[in-house]
Parts: sequence; C-alpha cells; structure tokens
Amino acid sequence: MKHTIARKTLLGAAIAVSLATAPAQAANWLMLQGTEPDSAAPRIKMWGFIQAQYQKDDSDPNGAGGYIPPKLIGPNLTSQEQFNVNRARLGARGTGFPLDGKVNYFLLTEFGNNGITAPGGDAARITDASITLNQIDGMRVRMGLFKTPGPEELLQAIHVFDYVNFTTVTNQLMLERLPNDAYTANQPPVSLPATVSPWRFEKPVGAGRDVGIQLFDSFRSGNWEHSYALMFGNGNGLNFGDNDDNKDTYLYWSSERIYGGKGPRRQGLKFFAWAQNGKRLLDNTNDSTHNPREFDRKRSGVGVKYLKNPYRVSFEYMKGEGMIFVGPDKPTFDMNPSVPPGNGENGKASGWYLDAGWMIPNSKWELDLRYDYYDRLEDDKLEVEFKTTTLGAQYAFNKKTRLVINYALRDFSAPEFSSGAGPNTNLDGVDTRLSIQLTHIF
Amino acid sequence: MKKILLSGLFLLSVLGFAPAQADKDSKPFAEERIVLQISDPNPFKQTLVLNVASNLLKAYGQDKVDIEIVAFGPGLRLLFKDNANKGRIEGLAGSGVRFSACKNTIANFTKKLGHSPALNPNAIPVSAGVVRIIELENQGFKLIKP
Repeated sequence: MKHTIARKTLLGAAIAVSLATAPAQAANWLMLQGTEPDSAAPRIKMWGFIQAQYQKDDSDPNGAGGYIPPKLIGPNLTSQEQFNVNRARLGARGTGFPLDGKVNYFLLTEFGNNGITAPGGDAARITDASITLNQIDGMRVRMGLFKTPGPEELLQAIHVFDYVNFTTVTNQLMLERLPNDAYTANQPPVSLPATVSPWRFEKPVGAGRDVGIQLFDSFRSGNWEHSYALMFGNGNGLNFGDNDDNKDTYLYWSSERIYGGKGPRRQGLKFFAWAQNGKRLLDNTNDSTHNPREFDRKRSGVGVKYLKNPYRVSFEYMKGEGMIFVGPDKPTFDMNPSVPPGNGENGKASGWYLDAGWMIPNSKWELDLRYDYYDRLEDDKLEVEFKTTTLGAQYAFNKKTRLVINYALRDFSAPEFSSGAGPNTNLDGVDTRLSIQLTHIF
Repeated sequence: MKKILLSGLFLLSVLGFAPAQADKDSKPFAEERIVLQISDPNPFKQTLVLNVASNLLKAYGQDKVDIEIVAFGPGLRLLFKDNANKGRIEGLAGSGVRFSACKNTIANFTKKLGHSPALNPNAIPVSAGVVRIIELENQGFKLIKP
C-alpha cells in the first residue's frame, strides 16, 4: 500500500483539536489545543469526529493518456472520482489528576484514509500526544507530539475548517512530505485504470506537527490578547523519533482584538506572524549508495483573520526556501533530475490566499469564496504557478454536523513554457474539481 | 470572662472558623431561599450550578432570593482559587450569593495534594458540606442539585 497514496485530499491530512463545530474562527489555537480550563477540566473527555467525502476531478490527461497527481483524487491517486472517509479521529483530553489543574494532556488518533495513514499503509496513527505544564506564569510548557506554531490554515482545528481541501500554498509548502530514507525515482504520469499510484513518498505527511517542546502563553490586555510560542522539535513530522541530530525551531506571535465569544467560536481580528527553521536529510543521487545530504528548510509567514458574524475575511502570505515539494510523484524533490533546473532542495517558493465567508442571517447556510496563489520554484526554468478560485457553501445541520460543498476552478501553468510545452504538457489539462464533505463531531 | 468569650467568638468569626450563619438576616426581604449543591466531578456541573444561580437572581431579583452554593467532594474544585469560573463567582458574590467550602473535603484534598488547596477568596469554609445543607434546609432553604 506504500504506493497507493494521496494527493489533494490528503493534502488535508493534517490536524485537529478543539471542541466545537462552528466554522473556523479567529480562535487562539495555541491555548485551545494545549491547555484546559483551570480546575474545570475532566479527568478524561473522549471526543472525535468523522469526515466522509466525495470528490470528482474533471481534468484531462496529457496527449499520451497520462495523469499527474493534481488530476487524481487523493490519497490513493488512482481515480478521478472517489468516495472516501478521509478523517476518522478519536481522542481524549483532560487532566489526569483533577485536583491539580496545572497539568493537562491531549491525545488524538487518526483512523481515516489520508496522507497520515496511507503512505505507510497504516490502519491508524497517533497524531497528537502531549502533556502541558502550566505552573509558570507566562510560560506554559508543552511536550510531546502536537501541532507546530505556524500558518493559521494549518494550525486551526481541521474539523472547523471552512473548505474541504487546503490551499495549494499550504498543501505544498507547509504540509511537509518527508524525504524517503533511500533514493526513490520519480513516477511518470499514470494511465487509468491505474496499476500504480503516483504517490512515491513512504512516510506520513508532516500534518503540521512535530515532536518536541513548546514554551507558550497568552496575555490579555483589555480587549486584546497577545500570544507567543517558541518550539524546538525533531523536524520529523508525526514520527516519534528523529533521523538526525538537527532540531527545528518554530517561532510564533499573534495579537488579537477580541470582539466576543470564546473557544473556537470566538470572534476577533487577529494578526499573526511565524517562522520555522530546520534541516532535512535527502538522498537524491541515483546510485546504490546511501548518501543523504543535508538541506535547509526555511518557512515563514504573516496573516490576518477577521471574524465578526456574519462576516469572515482572512489573508495569509507564506514563503519558503529549501526542501520545496514538487509533487508526490517526485520524491527526489526534483522536477526532472536529468535536467539542471527544477530542483526543489534548494528552491524557493511563496504564495498567499484571500478568503471570505458570509453566514446568511437566519439560516443554516454559509457562503465562502477563496482565491489562492502559489509560485513554486521561483526564478527557476521549471517554475509553476498555481491559481485556484474556490466557491463554497456550508450547511450546518446542527452544531456538530456540517456539510461543505466546494467547486474549485484551477489554472496551473509553467510561465517559462508555452502551452503544450515542458511542464504544461501535463498542466494544460488541469480543470475543475467538485468536493463534498460531511463532518460530524462527537 | 464574658468579654473574653465575645472577643474569642469575634476572632473566630473574622478568621472564618465560625459556622456560617444561615443568613435570613443577610437578605431580609428574600421570598425564596435556595441552597445549591455542587459535588459532582463533571466540570459541566460547575457551569450549570452557576447558571442556575444566575437565573434565580434574574427571575426573582437580587433582594428577593437568598442563594448559597455549597461545594463538597469533587465539586469543591469550583471554589479553587484559579478555577476558570472565578470571574463568574466574583460576579455572583457581588450579587449576594454565598459560597461554602466543605472543610472535610479540604482536609482530604490536602492529603492528596500534599498541601492545602488555595481557595477562592469568596469561599467560606464550613465544617461539613452535607451538614451545612441540612442546617440550611432546617432554616427553610430549598435544596436544588443541578
């Protein structure tokens, strides 16, 4: 099953936490996911959610009948139309010794079919397992496996995410695909019905998580809340251990003007900035020798999120240098190893998205609109621009059950090549995608 | 001798060791007298008991209802100093709601914690939570356990 894996759906392979179903808000995810209310937390609170979905891609194959990953439905990448249970998570949180509200824990497991489970053919994986110590005023300490401080789209709880799929910039730049231990050749476009999946990575996606230690806290000043986080981690995603002695550093700051509400439903205007820095080992030489080399991985971003019912507007800009993912079919991080340009190990990329939502008053409907842009391998001959406009609608059956319908209009192209040439041979055929997802939280 | 006894009683009262009075005097115009019990470990019950107190105040008016919340057993966590509901407790205390903390439970928690739990400044220790409830019932209070 290593090769029956993901793409756009598993893109969403990350995340979770928090406890409500309301659409995503300007919430304080550091606190919601890492702490419990003092002296008011249970010994154990079981919770979880299920997301079932249907996706259909209308892209056309290349001239030879081959399909590249953006034209197939993940995580399996073996068809253009698929039902899937992409997330089924079960967890527990609370404080093991209720008399001492200064210690809490968080545990979450994934049983769904996505980039977390599919790469290794796992039936389940632990996505979060952390302990938080709250004894020191102004400096809480969280240790274990949990979400790293980073972009809002990845840091927020996935079950309150307003769309089915992540933006391309978050998916490709931030949802890390960790290199294979040994050199693995690129996979050419596949024909359908597929006999092989284009997914060539062997480890679960990073899912915006790492194993490490985080110092963090939030401070109220009138109507404003300021939060910080400093984290050191293995830089090895969901894997419990490390594969080198390098440690990743994560920095985060947010300041939010709070309008009202609490928890995931809190309304406010939040400004935030973050940076991540680490190194990765990659064996990208096609020989029989295990000779991985070390490459930098740098990411940073800024953003703002406004939520005051019935409106939501959010914007994020992110950029990265080193270990630029160029597709699940290219575990060498190289568009074409036989041609000098197109190398992602030392490449650069950046992107942004603008999102708006409107909860229709006195109804259970919400309308959403998102535009996202991603420029991969900037200043490179094999640079690719990804432009996606997503039309969305959400219907809340109740506070715990929500339907999301998305229709994505996609325009992917390599600006250095004319239509039908170079990467555009495959990108020209990328077309619309319909996604329908039902979420139920328990 | 009488002065000494009176002084002693006054001192005990100030230090919070005197039995809490069932304070018909504190709300002389009260038409309803309610004692709310919180002894459940479920944190939701903390919110619930505070909601009930708020609703009673809204329904009857601050001067027309006399409310005392008695916390014992696992429910005593409501009256821990850093409890997440401390803001609401402060507000209710300002409206005349009294909060009683069971000394037996405090002693039990002290054994488990290795130190005495820090309590909300609005909490008044009483010898035993259940005894306090019986005392209040004998004085005409109605017991409600949300």
